[in-house]
Amino acid sequence: MNYFLSFVILAEIFSILAVSTNLLMGIIGIFSVAQAAIMGVGAYTTAILMMAGTPFPLAMLAAVAVCAAINVLSSLPALRLAGDYFIITSFGTQLVATAVFINWQDLTGGASGLSGIPVVEIAGAGFPTAREFIVLSSLCLILVAAGFWLLMRSPYGRLLHAIRENEVAVVAAGRRVLRAKVGVSAVSGACAGIAGALYATYISFIDPMSFDIHVSVLVVTMLVVGGARTLAGSIIGPFLLMAIAQLLAVVDIPSTIVGPARQLIYGVILIAFMLWRPQGIAGKRL
Amino acid sequence: MLYLQLLIDGVVSGCAIGIVSISFSYFYATTGIFHVAHAGIYTLSGYLAWWMVGLGTPFAAALALAILAAVVVGYLTQRLLYRPLEESGATPLVLMIASIGLLTVLQNVVAILFSPNIVQFDLPWRLSHTAIGPIALSLPQAILGVLSLLLFAGLVLFSHHTAAGKRIRAVASNRELAEITRLDPKRVFAQVLAISSGIVAVPGVLVGVDQALQPYTSLLVLLTAVVAMIAGGIGSLTGAFGMSIVLAVIQSLSVAVMPGRWSVAAVFGTFILFILLRPEGLIRSRFSRAI
Repeated sequence: MNYFLSFVILAEIFSILAVSTNLLMGIIGIFSVAQAAIMGVGAYTTAILMMAGTPFPLAMLAAVAVCAAINVLSSLPALRLAGDYFIITSFGTQLVATAVFINWQDLTGGASGLSGIPVVEIAGAGFPTAREFIVLSSLCLILVAAGFWLLMRSPYGRLLHAIRENEVAVVAAGRRVLRAKVGVSAVSGACAGIAGALYATYISFIDPMSFDIHVSVLVVTMLVVGGARTLAGSIIGPFLLMAIAQLLAVVDIPSTIVGPARQLIYGVILIAFMLWRPQGIAGKRL
Repeated sequence: MLYLQLLIDGVVSGCAIGIVSISFSYFYATTGIFHVAHAGIYTLSGYLAWWMVGLGTPFAAALALAILAAVVVGYLTQRLLYRPLEESGATPLVLMIASIGLLTVLQNVVAILFSPNIVQFDLPWRLSHTAIGPIALSLPQAILGVLSLLLFAGLVLFSHHTAAGKRIRAVASNRELAEITRLDPKRVFAQVLAISSGIVAVPGVLVGVDQALQPYTSLLVLLTAVVAMIAGGIGSLTGAFGMSIVLAVIQSLSVAVMPGRWSVAAVFGTFILFILLRPEGLIRSRFSRAI
């Protein structure tokens, strides 16, 4: 039972991260392969603050603010320069973030990471095990999903779709494209911050490996499999791919091969979807 | 003297990155596909050579076979992945995501078939050094430097002075025109990816001999190479090769002023300055591909 609850919690956390990626890639068409790094920043912020005695809501708020700021900063080149330059800045952000997590040992604990992150407590109620934590993570996912759903149906959401379809026309219509893009980057960063805060407090241990490039690629895979641009896609993808990972844990293969085998399956899935169903299970054409 | 040694080390690793850079650039400037999986071919060829040397194959034969394997994989990538995608009207984003998928597959196939750990070539000569004055140069470094310069010169000559090279440049500069003059861009693309993959196998193997092999580090090499390509001006082979050496020297010399683990940040910091100050690259590109 706990095994199943743990699976649901992690899938929910990755759904929040998939929504964050969806806002950038699906909605305004900025490629991002650095969302795990942004989530990592959120996780480290939460962990460091909570280990210094800050209560969870405040720590999470700080993580959200820091991640929103960093996401805007890291996507700034893409907001000003179109296309392929940003592919490099995005990969670059991911690599630099991993380097910082590993090398800034005083703050992040280096390669061995931070352990013993305190249990979440909100107004006297504790969330020590999966049974309680699932309430918190579900609540956060519902909030993020509702926010995404409302945003897409607002005039602002229509503006965002218009920017992706034809940016020049939107500029000609007198809309402020740059401001809208910065806004979406901030919201996307905030979502990654929430995911990071939940991840750090649920696992109670974080290290640089938890937020490296493979995790970012995994999130892109989740989004592509579920389907970009839709809310359903951001939730179906993570649940499906996490389930595959769980199934693989049951199959009897040597432990040194498990990691690469899982990655290999993700890679094959990514190629297969791009070839035969680029819109994913529930999405629209990329 | 330390600085001189660091400089030489930088130039040699810059040559290796330069070859990765020109081979990536050659395909990218022709097709506009951001071929991330190039890093996977780099890794695959290194491990193939390592495996063959382990079986007792002479090193030169192992290198040649690894190059051949890379040519085949590159050709098949264009035929079985990029071409069907382009025919179905995929956007550049979709092509690149597919390429990331292929990179993941190649890296992990290597990790599963060979070894997920760091491995080293079992060749006694890889540790022998030659000293030129105060500078020490290992034998693999010397071979790497010489072969890189030869490959660079060869590719430039091929591109400018052979019919096949000119055909490739024609397709790169105007695909529609090439199509109606029956230059057959699709065939040319497959040829270009085959050539690029064969070229990238050389540093893939020799850097492995000089240092070690690891399945997941090649992406960093590729990204440094792409940074050099952008800084050198897309489409300019000389710019890409030259900037790779500049970047590698900066990276190597930076060890003298700060801990080596921060050198990744140094490269990407330099790059971000570059795009802010000079978005068209050091040598203005004659290609007008939208970037």
